[in-house]
Amino acid sequence: MTTVLSVDALAKTYRSPGRTVEAVRDLTFDIGRGEFVCVVGPSGAGKTTLLRCIAGLMPGTGGSIHLDGTAVTAPPAGMAVVFQEYGRSLFPWLTVRRNVELPLAEKGVPRPARRARVDEALDAVGLSDSGNAHPWQLSGGMQQRVAIARAIAYEPSVLLMDEPFAAVDAQTRAELEDLIRALWHRLGITVLFVTHDIDESVYLGQRVLVLSRSPTEILADLPIDLPAARDQLTTRASPRFTALRAQVYTLIQRAKAGER
Amino acid sequence: MRRPLLGAAGLLVVMALLEALPRAGLVDGRFLPPFGTTARALGAQLATGGFWTVLGQTARGWALGLALAMVAGVVAGMVIGSVPVLRAATASTIEFLRPIPSVALIPLVVLVYGSRPESALVLVVYAAFWQVLIQVLYGAADVDPVVRDTARSYRFSRWGTLRTVVWPTVLPYAATGFRLAAAVALILEITAELVIGVPGLGHAIGVAQSSGAVAETYALVIVVGLIGVVVNLSARAVERRVLRWHTSVRRDL
Ligand SMILES: Nc1ncnc2c1ncn2[C@@H]1O[C@H](COP(=O)(O)OP(=O)(O)OP(=O)(O)O)[C@@H](O)[C@H]1O
Ligand SMILES: [Mg+2]
Repeated sequence: MTTVLSVDALAKTYRSPGRTVEAVRDLTFDIGRGEFVCVVGPSGAGKTTLLRCIAGLMPGTGGSIHLDGTAVTAPPAGMAVVFQEYGRSLFPWLTVRRNVELPLAEKGVPRPARRARVDEALDAVGLSDSGNAHPWQLSGGMQQRVAIARAIAYEPSVLLMDEPFAAVDAQTRAELEDLIRALWHRLGITVLFVTHDIDESVYLGQRVLVLSRSPTEILADLPIDLPAARDQLTTRASPRFTALRAQVYTLIQRAKAGER
Repeated sequence: MRRPLLGAAGLLVVMALLEALPRAGLVDGRFLPPFGTTARALGAQLATGGFWTVLGQTARGWALGLALAMVAGVVAGMVIGSVPVLRAATASTIEFLRPIPSVALIPLVVLVYGSRPESALVLVVYAAFWQVLIQVLYGAADVDPVVRDTARSYRFSRWGTLRTVVWPTVLPYAATGFRLAAAVALILEITAELVIGVPGLGHAIGVAQSSGAVAETYALVIVVGLIGVVVNLSARAVERRVLRWHTSVRRDL
């Protein structure tokens, strides 16, 4: 498997007058092409910080990040981010369709192709009927699906997601989890998925990175050896799932206790 | 439904008072003619061609000045607002220039343009420009950081960001700026006409007053007030149309 994303000794210290926070101390890991990797860690562990550095939205204060061998210094091409605050990341002045379409227009995709991709993406997230609505007319779960549709219509090779399902109800969450797995499977994209939900990380990922408490290092890099075809009922009820879940749970407890 | 009715009722009471007070001798009819007399003077005015000419002059000066101030304010505001260095560099200059009352420029413009329309134009543009600029600057600073990051991560071009992210955020502020500027522009236009003698309604009021045509003076003042109301109402209508998606306008949520 070829390496797509390589994070090497990444460090990030926030400095503002009178306050210095060493959020990330030393993160090193590689992600292969087409991998689905989940990142878990206690709240404040620096998950968002890590994601923003990878997305090129913010420089680290140490170490380096490479995407396809090129150092990331600005938002790289072929990457899409679904933000933790998805509601605020949609443009309220545009309809759902236009929200999904705009990044494609900015990318220079010609109009007819754009239309087809928007239709396809909205269809994939089950929002074909809501294209002409404005984001604020939709429920939280629907807004989240718009943000996802926008990301997949962009056809990124790397998709970063920051606790994307934190604010939706359990039912919608299960649906969105299966949606993301299905899309990942179909499109062959690389996914880095941040969550604080242990079950979710095990259910979704092929690998789970457990972060220590801030200042952050990697506490564990756990392969998830569950079958590729996953199902909300059977997978979650399987003994292997329960065992992995317990393993991640213990790791998080140790992380919270300050182990590194 | 009830508010316009109440408003109309209030107006009727004021008219009745204006009619009754001079007739009852409580105020001197030479300085405040009964409302009926003023209304007749107004009617007579509307029938003259001269009235419509000065009305047109005022409207033209106002609209031109407002349009120039809008364009200049929006462009300058968006450019300054989205370049942090510029913003920091201009902040103190703006804080210094903004509080200068436009009327303080009257001696200057009289010197340069005399009582030509350009005099009024300069005053109108100067006064209205700040209203727009300040609002647009607020707007440009109000772009949601998550929206900004979204645009950055999808690699929007600089122009694309201005057009599709900054401008829609600025729009509600620009609409407010437009409403404030429209009112200020009218005040300055009339002031320039009245004080400097730039042709227009204000000048006509001055002429009527100095020739002792009291009822006519009041009639023209009422016209100016009516223009103010129309300007404000239409600015609000524009605001509502432009901002259908915005929280201050939309009803649900
Ligand atoms: N802009 C900032 N300025 C200063 N400190 C910051 C900033 N952003 C984050 N931090 C600090 O960095 C640390 C990591 O924050 P981060 O948002 O990355 O955590 P997180 O793992 O995403 O948390 P959560 O699970 O709650 O979203 C925290 O201690 C936080 O206070
Ligand atoms: Mg976070």
